[in-house]
Amino acid sequence: MNCVRKLLRAQGLSAGRGILRQAAPGRARPWLQGSSCAQCVWPVPVRCIRSSAALSRSELVPTARGDKEKDRGFRDGSLVPFDELFERAHEGDRTKAAFSRAVELFCQRDVRRRGHVEFINAALRKMPEFGVERDLDVYNKILDVFPKEVFVARNFIQRMFNHYPRQQECGIQVLEQMENYGIMPNKQTKFLLLQIFGEKSHPVRKYQRLMYWFPKFKHVNPYPVPAALPRDPVDLARISLQRIAADLSATVTVYQRPLTDISDAGKEITQPHIVGIQSPDQQELLARHNPAMPVFVEGPFPLWLKKTCVYYYILRGEPLPPEEKEEVIDSERNFYYPMHLDLDLDRDLWDDEEFYVDEVVEGPIFAMCMAGAGDQATLAKWILGLQQTNPILSQTPVVFHLTPGPREFQAASDSESGEEEIPQSWRMKQEL
Amino acid sequence: MARPRRLSEAEAYRFLALPSGAVTWSDMSGLSLLLRAARAAFPAGARQLRTGGLRSAYAKELFLGKMGKEEVFPYPEISNEELEEINQFVGPVEKFFSEEVDSKKIDQDAKIPPETLKGLKNLGLFGMQIPEEYGGLGLSNTMYARLGEITSLDGSIAVTLAAHQAIGLKGILIAGTDEQKAKYLPKLASGEHIAAFCLTEPGSGSDAASIQTRATMSEDGKSFLLNGSKIWISNGGLADIFTVFARTEFVDNDGAKKDKITALIVERAFGGVTNGKPEDKLGIRGSNTCEVHFENTKVPVENVIGEVGGGFKVAMNILNSGRFSMGSASAGMIKKLIEMTAEYACTRKQFNKKLSDFGLIQEKFTLLAVKAYVMESMAYLTAGMMDRPGLPDCSVEAAMVKVFSSEGAWICVSEALQVLGGLGYMKDYPYERYLRDSRILLIFEGTNEILRMYIALTGMQYAGKILTGKIKEMKKGNVGVLLEMFVNKFRDSMGRKVDLGLVGKDGVAHPSLEESGKKLEENIYYFGTTVEGLLRRFGKTIVDEQLVLKRVADISINLYAMTAAISRASRSISIGLRNHDHEVLLTNIFCTEAYFKNNYAMAELEKYAAENLDDSIKKVAQQVLEKRAYICSHPLERTF
Repeated sequence: MNCVRKLLRAQGLSAGRGILRQAAPGRARPWLQGSSCAQCVWPVPVRCIRSSAALSRSELVPTARGDKEKDRGFRDGSLVPFDELFERAHEGDRTKAAFSRAVELFCQRDVRRRGHVEFINAALRKMPEFGVERDLDVYNKILDVFPKEVFVARNFIQRMFNHYPRQQECGIQVLEQMENYGIMPNKQTKFLLLQIFGEKSHPVRKYQRLMYWFPKFKHVNPYPVPAALPRDPVDLARISLQRIAADLSATVTVYQRPLTDISDAGKEITQPHIVGIQSPDQQELLARHNPAMPVFVEGPFPLWLKKTCVYYYILRGEPLPPEEKEEVIDSERNFYYPMHLDLDLDRDLWDDEEFYVDEVVEGPIFAMCMAGAGDQATLAKWILGLQQTNPILSQTPVVFHLTPGPREFQAASDSESGEEEIPQSWRMKQEL
Repeated sequence: MARPRRLSEAEAYRFLALPSGAVTWSDMSGLSLLLRAARAAFPAGARQLRTGGLRSAYAKELFLGKMGKEEVFPYPEISNEELEEINQFVGPVEKFFSEEVDSKKIDQDAKIPPETLKGLKNLGLFGMQIPEEYGGLGLSNTMYARLGEITSLDGSIAVTLAAHQAIGLKGILIAGTDEQKAKYLPKLASGEHIAAFCLTEPGSGSDAASIQTRATMSEDGKSFLLNGSKIWISNGGLADIFTVFARTEFVDNDGAKKDKITALIVERAFGGVTNGKPEDKLGIRGSNTCEVHFENTKVPVENVIGEVGGGFKVAMNILNSGRFSMGSASAGMIKKLIEMTAEYACTRKQFNKKLSDFGLIQEKFTLLAVKAYVMESMAYLTAGMMDRPGLPDCSVEAAMVKVFSSEGAWICVSEALQVLGGLGYMKDYPYERYLRDSRILLIFEGTNEILRMYIALTGMQYAGKILTGKIKEMKKGNVGVLLEMFVNKFRDSMGRKVDLGLVGKDGVAHPSLEESGKKLEENIYYFGTTVEGLLRRFGKTIVDEQLVLKRVADISINLYAMTAAISRASRSISIGLRNHDHEVLLTNIFCTEAYFKNNYAMAELEKYAAENLDDSIKKVAQQVLEKRAYICSHPLERTF
């Protein structure tokens, strides 16, 4: 998706605005515009123009500059007056209603909507804080801030020379933020853009490109992760395990439900959840496993589901010796037709359509699980549960190869992401 | 040489001048009678198991692009005495089926009434192929097929009879000892005891590894203890004698212990035999199908059929030998359907025209007649080949008959029902029952898919054995072989005239069938080159190319069907049977259609998987099966 986004951006820049860039070489990219606004002081719009001229020098700022850096830049310049508008509006909790109130407040303030570009930039920045960054209504509301019909080009010259460039770019930025969050514009968005910028303006073009690509990419992932992951760790484990197993016959078993209880002695007892998955094929493999050979419990291995990381454990055996791997079909196996021909002829090269695959020798994986705790005692309970359906497991030695993984992984990923959203795994780790 | 007979056309004489070495019909029938007598004189135990390969039969030769004319020309016939004998049977049986059998009631009650069963027993229909010395009718395969035409008028009865004698007691008949035969066959022939064939287990039908029923040898070595369950056993609830296949421990020559399948004769009287309630089925509802359980059933060692551990071969031979009769049975059913629907089509009027005047209705009757004719021809040709002296292995031909006739029957019944339109759909008419009953034909006695594999792989194995040397030479780059192949290809591309001696000068087929004969010859020749090409391309891995094998099987079935039709029509013209011109028409229609189908299939076989759609077919199936659902988005679905 990331490269797609880059592609889109490149398209937007080169195809859509190539001519314009030649005409006005001193203009900044839309996201740089934002930082310029951070410096300008409302309500003196003239200064904005000046500062944008100054920005032409910063054209060389590498595009790969991360979002975080940008965020920090904004936070440093906290004297932006529109931020106060939002601060005042929320009065306690940051919700969609509070956000809308701020927008309405701005709209009521001045019939000419002076400073709307700066306001919109501020609003876009504030959206994640209010948790409305995925709300199409809010985006439409923000677009509604633009004064209508003022920026519509009236003749071909205006259309050619980037009419009201800052406003247009601000409009594009709204759309770009929608794009980054994967929000598909709707009819109302289109209506607003047409009303504000008119046909064939850059934001409308941007809208059209979005509407061309978004539907095409909507279902491009054959293994989609649900939009909202379940909060319950058992349900989450169920989804994750089914995702890894990729076998519709595999059955998920909940060996232990999570439980927190106060014992008689007043001590808190927590019981971590244990959810396992095993397919009939795996069961058969395990049944054929030589009980003299040990099986291994290994883990934890990470699995990322969007921003959430969960950990799983596997039960595996040693790679099979080559003589056991070959399965000889008995000649007296099929009552109706021969299973192999007694011929000394091999397949011709032209019909050999198999690709050469260098296969890494790997042992069979018999089962997988996810648990609320990664200690041996918990995982031993899983093995105990597996013994119910796989009697051979009670005669087979089980070796635990556990790495002290999750906490380190967690710590690393935690320090890096300064997101408000607490990853599911973190919450899960807390439960330990 | 030929019978003195006046034919108007001079060519007919030439036709009758058969190539030297070919047995004429008159010789043929006399010989077979003689041999049947001789066979009856033999002690029954002397008959060996048919292990195949004793004599290469016609169908296998097709895979080499050769035509074993002497196998199929002239069309086999029976002597006048035999004909009289069989007609004596046919009359009463036909009368019984038209007067005493109430198929509708059998279907509704899901039970054959005891008095009907008694009537069948009195007619001797439970021992059709059991030798006379054991109280059976001792019918040859041909005569058995003839009676099958009539018994098939009721699906439930046909299946009950077939389960009894085509598979149920066949084990005793072909592999049993004298004592076993003397002990069991008389009662089975009279119908006092009914037999059932117990092979299928819940695991799966054709996989020997799924057999879990176990027979354990007792300590004194005198008996087996049988434990296990069998499912979908026809006659399971009625039978007194079961042919059961069970796993037994078997000590190899090198002393290693191994599980092998053993066939056992089990009497209900041995104890421990129970059966479930009859299954509720789509069709053949009157036949009894149920689970049979064996619990510590004590079976004496004498009741082993064949050898201990030799059950696999017994099962295969029983299954292979029972199939040919389905051709005549289906043909019998279709002939009856033609009578019934023609009556309707000639009386019902639409727009002041009789139904029979409409082209689309006429087409259906032609289809019915062609299919019935070809099925009949195949069935009696195969039966005739099986009745020949020696131990002919006709299992491939029998499988071809089964596939062709079961699919033909299904289409024909459906078309016959269509002639009646809405009326055909009503329970008041028998068509829906015929439709339900005929559906089983594609499934039992080996599903058609499985039999196609059998036909194609057996043929491939036969051709591969012979062609391996040549192909290896060619792959090595032997200039002589390569040159020969190149010249052959070149001649093929220039439009080769194929002459396998079927038509033209010294041809065995009647000149009226020259066109069809040429088509058959051409198809056979190119089928041979196709098979050679496939062997070169796939070698032994062709086992996994089921889509290829299916086409190979279809072509070979068509070739055999064409042969049978031409052979029969030739005979009819030559001896002047009534309406033989009609037969010529039917043969020509069938051969022309089959010729084009074969050419299409062979053109596909020439191509690689990417071009003949095989790849795409497999891919679609993979994608569907991965999700286990139809994966396309709904046409009303939107993305924005």
